[in-house]
Amino acid sequence: MVTKTEGTQLDDLENQVDNGGGGAWEYLCLVRKLKVRRSEKVLKHGLALLNDPKKRSSLGHDEWTLYEQVAVAAMDSQSLDVAKDCVKVLRKQFPESKRVGKLEGLLLEAKGSWAEAEKAYSSFLEENPFDQVVHKRRIAVAKAMGNMSTAIELLSKYLDTFMADHDAWRELAEIYITLQMYKQAAFCYEELLLSQPTNALYHLAYADVLYTIGGLENLQSARKYYSSTISLTGGKNRRALFGLCLCSSAIAQLSKGRNKEDKDGSELQSLAAAALQKDYKERAPEKLPLLTAALKSLKVSS
Amino acid sequence: MGNGDDQPRYEISQVAYIKLVLHALKHRTSAVNGVLLGRPSSSDGSLTEISDAVPLFHSNLGLLPNLEISLILIEEHYGGKGLSVVGYFHANERYDDSELSGVARNIGDHIYRDFPNAPILLLDNKKFEALEKGKDRSPVMQLYTRNASKNWKLSPDGGSRLILKEPSANVVLMDYISSEKWRDIVDFDDHLDDISKDWVNPDLFK
Repeated sequence: MVTKTEGTQLDDLENQVDNGGGGAWEYLCLVRKLKVRRSEKVLKHGLALLNDPKKRSSLGHDEWTLYEQVAVAAMDSQSLDVAKDCVKVLRKQFPESKRVGKLEGLLLEAKGSWAEAEKAYSSFLEENPFDQVVHKRRIAVAKAMGNMSTAIELLSKYLDTFMADHDAWRELAEIYITLQMYKQAAFCYEELLLSQPTNALYHLAYADVLYTIGGLENLQSARKYYSSTISLTGGKNRRALFGLCLCSSAIAQLSKGRNKEDKDGSELQSLAAAALQKDYKERAPEKLPLLTAALKSLKVSS
Repeated sequence: MGNGDDQPRYEISQVAYIKLVLHALKHRTSAVNGVLLGRPSSSDGSLTEISDAVPLFHSNLGLLPNLEISLILIEEHYGGKGLSVVGYFHANERYDDSELSGVARNIGDHIYRDFPNAPILLLDNKKFEALEKGKDRSPVMQLYTRNASKNWKLSPDGGSRLILKEPSANVVLMDYISSEKWRDIVDFDDHLDDISKDWVNPDLFK
């Protein structure tokens, strides 16, 4: 996950390179560091560097890292010939390398040769059963083939061993959500919350899932987690503010007659509504009347 | 046209059509969805005119809270113009997945409750890919309608029940694709992250 500052820095650098202002190598390094997926740009600018013999030799050993980065970007942009060439160069330079072997597996994936890719990865894992990257590629192959149940099975087994891999937990949660298996998705977020209790995004995601499952208890829990998201983000997370309004409205409808619930709920709701209205007034004033009407329909008073 | 049966038919405007396809292109590695805005035709009882569309999300399409908020705001905005939510659009994550997912069906059901006759439009990836090579004038979407037993069924002759209002819409679409117009489209996810981004996309085609 990339912060706003990092994102802006990356975009600025990308614009600079796009417009001929130089800085291609810095851009490519930043993309690698932040692990973002900007394959078209990486391919364009990386290839330009590689095709310029002077620039390429000035990179020294980094030349091979660049080949690798461009190979992956090429595969992601379906420029398979470029990818093949890059991998060939790397294979020539590093004939015994497992790292290049993984790239070759990736190339099989890019070509859609799923069975061959799966075979390559399985044999990798026989030699080294703890290679996380290859495990994840196997899961990616299952997902790409549409075998969701296999993907879930492999991912769950992976997490039995590598339970600290947060990205994997998130991936599993997202797969469960696509399949509408919300209780299982909730379990994944619970694991994430246990290991990173101050990560606001997990609080938010958990709240969203609880709200989706529904029922009074879950709505009340969702409201707690929207609240914790708001407190962790200093009130800046709009999705949580909206979530809070929705929760309070839904809870009020489900618990008609329980006065205590309404009181707690409506105060929180008014605060969230006021925060949203202030935000819209400052940054999207033409949408403010819409927001006000929407909040009214949720029976929120501010 | 006018073959005697009163099967529901849909006419989709260029604006709505292009917005939806551009949105799918912007987020080609995820599933995306959107809602269709329009009204029943005043002259033809079985025709629904889809005049606009709002791209919704490109992540976690199966979660309710953001969907509910977006629908409230969208209905509020378009209600003032005499338009309502008349259908749903969905594009799957994978190229060779042409099934209508549970999430799509559920959202379709929800919209159908308020607008019986609401269709689900599913992006047809293979047809879309073929667009570059051919001169197809039909929309690159599959049409699903709900039958009497509340199941969403693929309309086999979607070509005649879902039509593009402007016959050259695909030509315009290909133009926009080559100029990478899809970079400019804003969806509800973008709006929630930065409310100064407008999901109405008022200046997209200017």
